Amino acid sequence: MTAPQNAPRRVHVLGGNRIPFGKIGGAYRGVSNRDMMTAALDGLIARYSLQNERIGEVAGGAVLKRAADFNLTRESVLGTALDPHTPAIDMQKACATGLETLNFVTAKIRLGQIDSGIAGGVDSASDAPIEVSDSLRRKLHTLSRAKTAGQRLSLVGSLRPSDFAPLAPRNSEPRTGLSMGEHQAITTREWGITREEQDELAAASHRNLAAAYEEGFFDTLMTGYRGCGRDEFLRPDTTVEKLAGLKTVFGKEQATMTAGNSTGLSDGASAVLVGTEEWAAARGLTPLAEVVDFRAAATDYVHGDEGLLMAPVEAMPRLLADNGLTIDDIDFFEIHEAFAGTVLSTLKAWESREYMVDRLGFDDVLGTVPREKLNVKGSSLAAGHPFAATGGRIVASLATMLRTAADDTGRTQRGVISVCAASGQGVVCLLQAEPVGQEDK
Amino acid sequence: MSVRELSSVPSFPAIWAAALGRPPLVPRATSLPKRRYRVRGVKVGAEQSARFDHLVGAAASDYVHPGLLHVLAFPVSLSLMAHPRFPFPLLGLVHVKNSILQHRPVRVGETVDVECSVRNIQPHRRGATFEAVSTLSADGQIVATDVSTYLARGETARKIAALQEEEGASADGSRSEDRAAKREEFQPPKPSARWKLNGDTGRRYAAVAGDANPIHMSALSAKAFGFPKAIAHGMYTASRAFAEARPDLSVPLKWDVEFAAPVLIPGTVWLSFENDDSSRVYGARGHAGGAESGSAAGAGSASGGGRRVTRFTGFSAPKPDRPSKLHFTGTVELFG
Repeated sequence: MTAPQNAPRRVHVLGGNRIPFGKIGGAYRGVSNRDMMTAALDGLIARYSLQNERIGEVAGGAVLKRAADFNLTRESVLGTALDPHTPAIDMQKACATGLETLNFVTAKIRLGQIDSGIAGGVDSASDAPIEVSDSLRRKLHTLSRAKTAGQRLSLVGSLRPSDFAPLAPRNSEPRTGLSMGEHQAITTREWGITREEQDELAAASHRNLAAAYEEGFFDTLMTGYRGCGRDEFLRPDTTVEKLAGLKTVFGKEQATMTAGNSTGLSDGASAVLVGTEEWAAARGLTPLAEVVDFRAAATDYVHGDEGLLMAPVEAMPRLLADNGLTIDDIDFFEIHEAFAGTVLSTLKAWESREYMVDRLGFDDVLGTVPREKLNVKGSSLAAGHPFAATGGRIVASLATMLRTAADDTGRTQRGVISVCAASGQGVVCLLQAEPVGQEDK
Repeated sequence: MSVRELSSVPSFPAIWAAALGRPPLVPRATSLPKRRYRVRGVKVGAEQSARFDHLVGAAASDYVHPGLLHVLAFPVSLSLMAHPRFPFPLLGLVHVKNSILQHRPVRVGETVDVECSVRNIQPHRRGATFEAVSTLSADGQIVATDVSTYLARGETARKIAALQEEEGASADGSRSEDRAAKREEFQPPKPSARWKLNGDTGRRYAAVAGDANPIHMSALSAKAFGFPKAIAHGMYTASRAFAEARPDLSVPLKWDVEFAAPVLIPGTVWLSFENDDSSRVYGARGHAGGAESGSAAGAGSASGGGRRVTRFTGFSAPKPDRPSKLHFTGTVELFG
């Protein structure tokens, strides 16, 4: 540690790696979260020659996690070529897990506790944990504490067939009973988002992601796994017309949300390497972009008046204002496409005086996000969305875009990430890249 | 006013047996009994409290859900109403309203005295209503008052109510509202949650609360009492709504609910929760960063102290052939 304890240090994204994202029941059926996390880490280690490297901390996590995977990230690390003395931690904040793991390792580096870190996440819809019922669990626990044969017999006799019904993870918010899609359907309707707008955004996502593959954008960001070399959800030939033919799945009256403009259940893993400039230089690594800042927010969706997925609407203006920036200073906007309706509602809210000023209490609206700066390499609608892996996918892609743009233009480039999450949460992040040679300006 | 001391909380089977096995020749009274029933030293058990919390979607805490206080007092007031001379038959009474005023938080493991009485007969469009009042006290101090309003349907009940009115017995009470009129003009609020209630909802509540009234237990047993399907316990839906109102159980509170149409199970109920904004500051909510929050106007948060109100409404989804129907509506008020 060269920096004094009280001087925050600058932290950079040095690289990233993910496996292509699979569809539920697709290429990754039969493999576990640990398998996929290990694969994502292996690819990162190979690309950046991290064999036997003792990383300061690896932070990862899964949203749907088996109880047996209690130290999922550390167990994954032990299965890689990293120095086995590398510590690791599991974290979970629903779909914002990936951004929060980055926030965590970045903060540690910034404070001088460590010099390098890996942030990531994994999720498998194909191998989601299945639990026993509450009543069976309680009876089994009581049984294990029973002292006499009579007690055991009476407990066994109390077992009912219904006790044995397995419980898959529920697809609904525990407090409202509504699925995320049903919540978004309410918000989508409130903001008057049309079916056409949503399908256009979905088509753009596929178009942009397909083009990114074409130009080799993912060559430095992805390693194939189990015969899968490309995101399984991607449909390069999809069009607004094709999407318009799909049936609606969420909402009843004036339904507009379909399987085409909503993300599907996915499998996948991602990992991002971060560190100080010195740490990177000592290993011959070039920083892609600086991790500047994060903000988190949450909405009260339980009592009705706020959208489940609208927390980033409040977090983003705070992030920009606290860093002395406006929307015009941002070159790339990465807004996680949980649903096309989420992105479009968020964009509209940032333009709405009623929402930003009257309701959230800001001095002004945030403004209009130019569409040509939005999700330019595609996003979750086309790539898929393995919950905890999405943050790492976006961070690595955005850092790469910023590096390229900074070098091409010779100017500072800034990008923001917005990720909404279950239970009304949201996290936003600011990355920034200077043209090479001007890092220390 | 006499008090009948019971040695313990009566059991439900005994109450139902008494109600069903009522000697037919005993005439029913034409006014409510003045006598109160009392059970001393009723313990609020930790295990039952946790089971009740989990059943209604709350986290098991060291404070008692007021719905459980109702559960503890309910058999005592029922046994009073199961008396052979009670003016209205126990079976067939409809729970139309409930109001609990909790003067101080009740902790799990506390021991309370329960005293029940009935009062306030009022004429109703479909018969008569009266109130069962349960007082829970500890060390001589009242900790909670639970007022349950029941509807006795039919001409006899109406006549009894009319008689009471002539005698001026109900001078203080307000007339029961005409619920039918209310239901017709019901406009569903924006839903914020949905409960999918399985067919075993009544059985699961009965397993924790004890109230195994056949109308809640199965479609077959409910049909015997004239219901098309089993119906959810009103206090189950109310207790669940109370939990979802996210109340602070460490302060005095008032919890009111009115039951309109019964909730048939299996079935779906839509919910709406609305916070009273008078005590809540919107927007530019304070954040950990502190110092400058840029464009954000002054930081605000739910202010401490004062009165906070959450309204809840349970209703059915509108169908093409049938408008949305109100199931229940109520409020949770926190003081302090």
